[in-house]
Amino acid sequence: MSNIKNMDDTKEVKTSYTIPIGPIHPALKEPIRLDLSVDGEEIIDVDVVVGQVHRGMEWLGMNRNNPIQTIYLAERICGICSVSHPFALVMAVEQAAGIEVPPRAEYIRVIIAEMERIHSHLLWAGVAAHEIGFDSVFYLVWKVREEIMDAMEYLAGNRNSKAMFQFGGVRRDITEEQFPRVRKSLDYYLSIFDQLGNIFLKDKTINMRTRNVGILKKEDALRLTIVGPTARASGVSKDARQGHAYSAYADMDIKAITPDVITGKVVGDVYDRIVVRLLEIKQSIEIIDKCLKEMPSGAIISEPKVAKLLAVLKKAEGEGIGVHEAPRGECFHYVRMEAGMDPLACWKVRAPTYANLMAIPTMLKGEQIADVPIAFASIDPCMSCTNRAITVKQPRKGTECLLDLHELSLEKTRRLEAEFDR
Amino acid sequence: MIGSNFSLGITILLGIVILALGVFFGLLYLGIDRKLVARMQGRIGPPIRQPFRDVSKLLMKESIIPDDAISWLFKFAPVLCLMGAAVLLLYVPLFGQPALLEGSGDIIVVLYLLIIPALALVLAGFSSSSPFATVGAQREMVTLMSYEFPLVMSVVAIAWHTGHVTGASPFLFSTLAAFPIWGQVGPVGIIGAVLLLLVLLFIIPGELSKIPFDMAEAETELAGGVLVEYSGRNFALFYVANAVKAIALVAIVVGLFFPYNLSPVIGIGAAIPATIVDGIFFLVKVFLVMFVSVMVARAAMARFKIDQASKIYFISSTLVGLLGLILLWIDLVI
Amino acid sequence: MEILSPEKIVESFKSALGDGLLSSRIHQQEVAITRNLFQAIWLSVTPGSFKKSVAHFSSLQDYPHLAVVSSSDLGEEIELIYHFSIYYEYQFKEISVGVRVVLPKSKPEIPTITDIIPGALFTERETQEMIGIKVIGIPDDRRLFLSDDFPIGVYPWRKDDTGPQDLLKTLPGQKVPGR
Repeated sequence: MSNIKNMDDTKEVKTSYTIPIGPIHPALKEPIRLDLSVDGEEIIDVDVVVGQVHRGMEWLGMNRNNPIQTIYLAERICGICSVSHPFALVMAVEQAAGIEVPPRAEYIRVIIAEMERIHSHLLWAGVAAHEIGFDSVFYLVWKVREEIMDAMEYLAGNRNSKAMFQFGGVRRDITEEQFPRVRKSLDYYLSIFDQLGNIFLKDKTINMRTRNVGILKKEDALRLTIVGPTARASGVSKDARQGHAYSAYADMDIKAITPDVITGKVVGDVYDRIVVRLLEIKQSIEIIDKCLKEMPSGAIISEPKVAKLLAVLKKAEGEGIGVHEAPRGECFHYVRMEAGMDPLACWKVRAPTYANLMAIPTMLKGEQIADVPIAFASIDPCMSCTNRAITVKQPRKGTECLLDLHELSLEKTRRLEAEFDR
Repeated sequence: MIGSNFSLGITILLGIVILALGVFFGLLYLGIDRKLVARMQGRIGPPIRQPFRDVSKLLMKESIIPDDAISWLFKFAPVLCLMGAAVLLLYVPLFGQPALLEGSGDIIVVLYLLIIPALALVLAGFSSSSPFATVGAQREMVTLMSYEFPLVMSVVAIAWHTGHVTGASPFLFSTLAAFPIWGQVGPVGIIGAVLLLLVLLFIIPGELSKIPFDMAEAETELAGGVLVEYSGRNFALFYVANAVKAIALVAIVVGLFFPYNLSPVIGIGAAIPATIVDGIFFLVKVFLVMFVSVMVARAAMARFKIDQASKIYFISSTLVGLLGLILLWIDLVI
Repeated sequence: MEILSPEKIVESFKSALGDGLLSSRIHQQEVAITRNLFQAIWLSVTPGSFKKSVAHFSSLQDYPHLAVVSSSDLGEEIELIYHFSIYYEYQFKEISVGVRVVLPKSKPEIPTITDIIPGALFTERETQEMIGIKVIGIPDDRRLFLSDDFPIGVYPWRKDDTGPQDLLKTLPGQKVPGR
């Protein structure tokens, strides 16, 4: 009996082996490790290992920063959605401290958030094309994306870290004179929308690589609490902008987009995720257009003086949640404030990828190695969002902690200086 | 005795010159390829001499051999790959001249020699002990087996047809040069020959591991696949071998389908100007074939999965090739 | 399934949990121009009836959504809040429900909910390593974000002796932050 078992063991060792994808791999734009057990080209099992870029941001927010500093910290949780996290954070704090937001500010927030969605979805489309080896489309899409980046720079002064948010409003106004520039961008995207659709939905090789790949069934998506375009592509009608009445979205009529609008049925594969994201670009254009048309006049912030605002926040006591539909899905912040305490008493960040990573093993099992990059990319993973450095007191043999590295670096500078002098 | 020694010396000298030219033009065409594809993709692209810089830099770099690798095989594989590609060059007519080592059945020899660089890649993959390289090697093998049949079929079909019609010795590049296929066939045969040409054009990116058939290297999936562990001099050898192979492979297609020379047409009789004109004309032909089968394909398509690529070669290409063969046969019967 | 008002939902929890429900609070906030309501419910339950309260969500919504588990150190106790969300398919009807459980530090144990919501695995793993509670019956007991060489028995979000104070290092020229 034991012999038979041993034979089975050796057989298993022969037929399957582990391929580590990551933490550093060309298919991954940010560090994460996927341990794939493969048999030939087929994937048998997947283990997701995260934490490579955990930066302890929540700890900083709870121990070191005052809440206003935390907004800018939250903005740097993610390199791409630099609006989503501040958006959710200010909502949570405003709820906890009872701060009112003027309607005009709500509209400006939504315009910026939707512009970010356009840029993020285009960025994703480029990355997805690169993952399947279609570099021409990658370059084309990123070229197209520059238009919205320019528009954002025009409005906020920066392409990415826009620093628009403040408790009780926004820091910069969008004036009537600035509307034409934004409209020009929207018109540009409307004019090329069909062309983009043609490339992504009709191209033969893209179809071959994305149809019936990385399928996530509706039931699995619901069970695993998947969010965002990934869930919607599986037919789940889940969209924070639809469910919650928050910010100016409460005045819009937003319906969660599922892929059956174009394809007629929901498969839940990578192709469906492309469909959903493409349609969401159009939806975002419509939302921005509506915001520009209906933007109310008035103040953009309820308390423009930072010192006064800080005093209010220091006295505030309570808790609140902020939910925002980031480009990748629902971004959730929980905040608890205690009177007399400078930093937030509790701050919990839940980025969309955190939830969506649960779908990876389900999506990849039974697929080929060639499908890993595109299937993994199809959830539009954002690792810096998910992980939030811990310095280790006794570093593992062969690894240096931050302090040692810093000293090594100083040492080298000194050595080079000495050599130079000689 | 002295005469044969002398001619042997000339042959060796010519061989070295051909290899040097092969490496030079291989890298040059690689540079042009990168520049043009970049332009098609809306990028500026590297300067055309970039591949030369790459090679000279790689030659200066340290060659790292993984601890678990089979060391001698790991170092031998790139040499074998370059040797295979270099010998291939000697059997293929280049620059409008007959091949250096021409002789009875050189087309058959070329078909066998084509396998050597691919096999060297497989060896390299398996000897480097990385799971990425192993998967890459498996894919390279599958690709090799998939395109081999349509490749052999189309080459043999052309050679057989020419031999049959003209009665000259088949499977010789010189026979094909003397009797180009387009002159020997009727309208039906022309369709057949075009189909066979298409099959060959489709196989070139597979042989060269270029998108859409770069499954063995697949940057975003396997991080470089078979060559993932290679660095320094060993990698430079593969780099050069691939460039040489590209020239040789395209020269085969040119030799099979476009063996025309320009000098008789424009009436240049003198030996040296004729050689120069034919040489330049050859380079233009090579560029055109490469442009269609490598550059445009690379810019216009996404990477296939290994099973899709295998099906494309094994079923679609084979069927198209068979159709071409049948059309050529019908052409003979009529 | 019929959509209940927040008051009705609290009622239903009251009848399902009885004494297990310690307190409840409904948060409603008018937003923007149309003054639609942003709705949230905060429930506080005993550790004993926590599992029952999670099971009760299934009668309100097929597949209730769990956003995340937030945790904070209250001194002698650890507070966990499970942030659920229901009615997400309906426009402006979604309600966030925060279920609060307070665990004593002497026995920081809570049953897993991965049998009801499998998607809760990541957040349970994170809560376990970060605040130092024990999730009973968790299918995957490994660490999530912390590396394997992180010392055992140190929990980054604790504010007592088991916190990460000893691990904090600063770059030259900076002070160690104090609380």
